[in-house]
Amino acid sequence: MGTKDVKPTRSELIELKKKIKLSQSGHKLLKMKRDGLILEFFEILNKAKGVRNELDDAYDNATEKIGIAEAVEGRMVIKSTALALKEGPVISLESHNIMGVVVPKIEASSVHKSINKRGYGILGTSSCIDETVDSYEILVDKIILAAEIETTMKRLLEDIEKTKRRVNALEFKVIPEMQEAMDFIRFRLDEMERENTFRLKRIKA
Amino acid sequence: MELAVVGDGEFVTGFRLAGVQKVYKINEESKLEETVKGIFNDSSIGIIVMHSNDFNKLPETLRDTLSESVEPTLVTLGGTGQSSNLRDKIKQAVGVDLWK
Repeated sequence: MGTKDVKPTRSELIELKKKIKLSQSGHKLLKMKRDGLILEFFEILNKAKGVRNELDDAYDNATEKIGIAEAVEGRMVIKSTALALKEGPVISLESHNIMGVVVPKIEASSVHKSINKRGYGILGTSSCIDETVDSYEILVDKIILAAEIETTMKRLLEDIEKTKRRVNALEFKVIPEMQEAMDFIRFRLDEMERENTFRLKRIKA
Repeated sequence: MELAVVGDGEFVTGFRLAGVQKVYKINEESKLEETVKGIFNDSSIGIIVMHSNDFNKLPETLRDTLSESVEPTLVTLGGTGQSSNLRDKIKQAVGVDLWK
């Protein structure tokens, strides 16, 4: 809103006053939302750091185990065992709400299976394979956790940015411009009043 | 929702052992991009798992869309590919490097 295209009328002035008041309360609310989001983000950040490290550890462990299993049993055995597995982890996605940001809550079922439910023969395979399966199940668990937390972080970051931009736009652009317009109207109204008194005086004289 | 694993034979076999059904074995590098795009458009997949070496082989635009997408979410293993990506985002949004 440029200063030039406001009409210097009293009703416009009242309208502007109302608008400024509304924007200021909106600004206050958005500021609180931003602070809240950042607080929430800090909590998630701490979790995310831990989860990342755990994920890397789990991955290293799993690759080591499968390496051993391949060395002991041979690649073909591992592959055929892998093909025997039928049941996979099922992920369910739920969403919950952090200060207006919808974040996913990922839950997995049947990642960990007991040895006799895995689908391959226990007698035909060695304990190396069991260990490998175990370590990969742990890895999948960690992946699901990491996916949840990292998605939450992404969403929160996006929203923090958006809210921050809104707060700044209100604070540095919208409100000052309206105030400027208000000052302009006041000035014009005063000026018109002075002109009027002067004119009246001239007519009288 | 399901988990999808993309990678070379060795990488994928382990996940098959954990019972993951949707595994995509990449024998030639040229097929990687095509496969990932296919998975990306598959609505039944909630999480994509890749090795960060494979991830870095993808063209940059696809990498960006993948790391920004929420559904499916991408998780890379090995290396430091993803954490640096998140780090940049944190720097951009908060203004301070808070990661580590």
